[in-house]
Amino acid sequence: MPAWANGHGLHDSFRREPAGRPTVGGMLSIRSVSKSYGSLTALDDVSLDIAAGEFLGLLGPNGAGKSTLMSIIAGLKQPDAGTVDLNGTPATREGDAARHHLGLVPQNIALYDELSAEENLQVFGELFDLDHATLRSRIAESLDAVGLSDRRRDRVKGFSGGMKRRLNIVAALLHRPKLLLCDEPTVGVDPQSRNAIFEFLEQLNREGLTVVYSTHYMEEATRLCSRIAIIDHGKILAEGSLAQLLAQLPTAEQLSLPDNPSVAAALTSLRDLGSVTSTELGHTLAIAPNTTLSSVFRTLEKHGVPSTDCTLTRPGLEDVFLHLTGKAFRE
Amino acid sequence: MHQVLSLLRKDIRLFLRNKVAFGLTFIVPLVLVYIFGQVFGVNRSSSGPTGVPIAVVSNTDAAVADAIIDAMEDETAFRVIRSWKDPDGREAMLTVDRTRELIRDNKLRFGLVFPADTVSEERFGLRLIFLNNPRNEIETQTVTGLLQKVIFTSAPQALMQNLHDQATAYIGEEKTSSFYDGMARTMADSFDLEYEVVRANMEAGVMNFGSESADGPQSDENDADDDANFIDQIVQIENEQLAGADVKSPGATRVVGGWAIMFLLFSVSGAATSLFEEKQAGIFHRLLASPVSRSHILWSKYLFNMLMGLVQLTVLFLAGQLMFGIEVLPHLPSLLVVALTASIACTAFGMLLSAISSTPAAANGLATFVILTMSAIGGAWFPTSFMPEFIQLISKLTIVYWSMEGFLAVLWAQKSLFEILPIIGVLLGIAALVNIFSIWRFNRGNLFE
Repeated sequence: MPAWANGHGLHDSFRREPAGRPTVGGMLSIRSVSKSYGSLTALDDVSLDIAAGEFLGLLGPNGAGKSTLMSIIAGLKQPDAGTVDLNGTPATREGDAARHHLGLVPQNIALYDELSAEENLQVFGELFDLDHATLRSRIAESLDAVGLSDRRRDRVKGFSGGMKRRLNIVAALLHRPKLLLCDEPTVGVDPQSRNAIFEFLEQLNREGLTVVYSTHYMEEATRLCSRIAIIDHGKILAEGSLAQLLAQLPTAEQLSLPDNPSVAAALTSLRDLGSVTSTELGHTLAIAPNTTLSSVFRTLEKHGVPSTDCTLTRPGLEDVFLHLTGKAFRE
Repeated sequence: MHQVLSLLRKDIRLFLRNKVAFGLTFIVPLVLVYIFGQVFGVNRSSSGPTGVPIAVVSNTDAAVADAIIDAMEDETAFRVIRSWKDPDGREAMLTVDRTRELIRDNKLRFGLVFPADTVSEERFGLRLIFLNNPRNEIETQTVTGLLQKVIFTSAPQALMQNLHDQATAYIGEEKTSSFYDGMARTMADSFDLEYEVVRANMEAGVMNFGSESADGPQSDENDADDDANFIDQIVQIENEQLAGADVKSPGATRVVGGWAIMFLLFSVSGAATSLFEEKQAGIFHRLLASPVSRSHILWSKYLFNMLMGLVQLTVLFLAGQLMFGIEVLPHLPSLLVVALTASIACTAFGMLLSAISSTPAAANGLATFVILTMSAIGGAWFPTSFMPEFIQLISKLTIVYWSMEGFLAVLWAQKSLFEILPIIGVLLGIAALVNIFSIWRFNRGNLFE
């Protein structure tokens, strides 16, 4: 629970589906979307389906096409080809109906610095034709939820970066959208505020809000997302849960072992559990996908190798990216 | 030293790549210098305005009238107008009434009338009528000064020649000649002058009897100065102000419109750059992801700037009433209509800046250039009639010109709302054209991307 959160959800209206479980019904359907800027292809035949209640991470390096895809979903840009349906309604630049289902947290802090927190929320809330009483109560709830109630009348220009980011998020939630698009919402935020934002978003998702979260930070996608789509050069390279993506790797975990008599005695048994590579520095066991860690440690224990002598390396999304593209993620 | 040169090279490179700075450093001053040069004729042998239109109506056969008209036509500062198209399109000689009408309608601002009794046996001297609409002080003072110079230079000789002719016709050539002989001898003896010079000047009508001649060593200008006091007594110019005669604070009323519109343009162009600020803050993305379209954003900006312009102009004019006694309240309804249309047109200009500029800096630079140029050629600083004809034509495409026309029509000429409708129509037309172009540019530009 973030330090600034009040312990309960923003509003029950997010709780449409059982918390944290994606439902069968499609919230967002992206079909064969392409977009070019001159000779540069930003998106190339992208298709994605996102179920209600999902927390989808759109992960890719800078320039991969994430922001273009987010803009097209938000109806800010028209695709050259393909369609986007939001809750069964076409998401186009003129599509007002789809916009009522959608909340966008832009990458920039899209707030009026000279207005107070409350005034900012009022401006953005009024655009959705909320009646006065509803808007007042939602503004109060929102400020309470992100711990800004006591600063509601202060001008935003005096806020810290983290406070602005929190306000930036709740400004997209006043009309209770079904889908929240977060376009790298933690850029420039300190680790503590970032963690608080994660917890807030997780809470919203638990309450039933579908979230599409664009990021180039693997740890964010790993922590937050129930499903991750990896995008590069305008193409979706892979999608699935973290486990499903990792399963695409030829090896799972790797265990580094020192070069000593106990380990040397265990090597023959270990070769049955994966492939062993030996160097003058020690030995590395690439554990076979169908082998459990517990069986590896039982084998080591049997040969008198203490677990404290071993270093376990789990593969991550970077390995998946490397596997899919042949290049490191941050190249 | 090497470091200084490196940094110097860097600054030069940055400057050359900054189109706005380059434009403000070279193009703006050059354009303004050119306009000032054209207005004040700095490259001509005789500086000052050229071709200021002045109507001339002559209802007399007196030779002195022809002499003055000839001198006016020779004066490059004036463009003498003797005829005008009547309402059915036929060119007709100007009459006094028609000239008055044209001046009241601000189609002309000056007219010189030689009435039937320009020269009369019943009095010594000339009678002329100067019709004018002194809505621009600089223009009126300049024209009055130039007109006096022309009359003072040409009238005495023509007048004396006229008197000589009249005397000859009345008493006969022999007696007239005898009279001159006697007068010339008396003056030569009394003032120690040369008889032949005095005698020749008398016959030629030169007032400065003792000098060699009108074409002699003294310049025309000196002659005119010497003759001025005498001329004041023999040339009677009746001033007939056809507009603004009842204006209580003429000086302030003349200039308030030009100042107000210039400030409004600066305000509106500054406000228009807020579009860029909102774009850079990412606010457009948030707005456009809500049930808000591009046209909603543009219309809200347009209405805001228009209202701000209206309020700014109203405050400026009311302050003018308080500080300088400009009569605003009696004309408030018409003034508000002109202020509103001027605001609409100026806002259109501000939106155009946003539509054609790629950055706030570019918009600000372009605004400075266009506002200063429009103010210069639109008449906010000096009279448009002093400018070459092609600049006068361009000036009629500017918001400054038509806004000033509107303000002066209401405050100076005290015209009714109905009478100012054509000016309102022009301002709205300019706004419509500019808006159409801006919308086209906004649709093709990347302001909302």
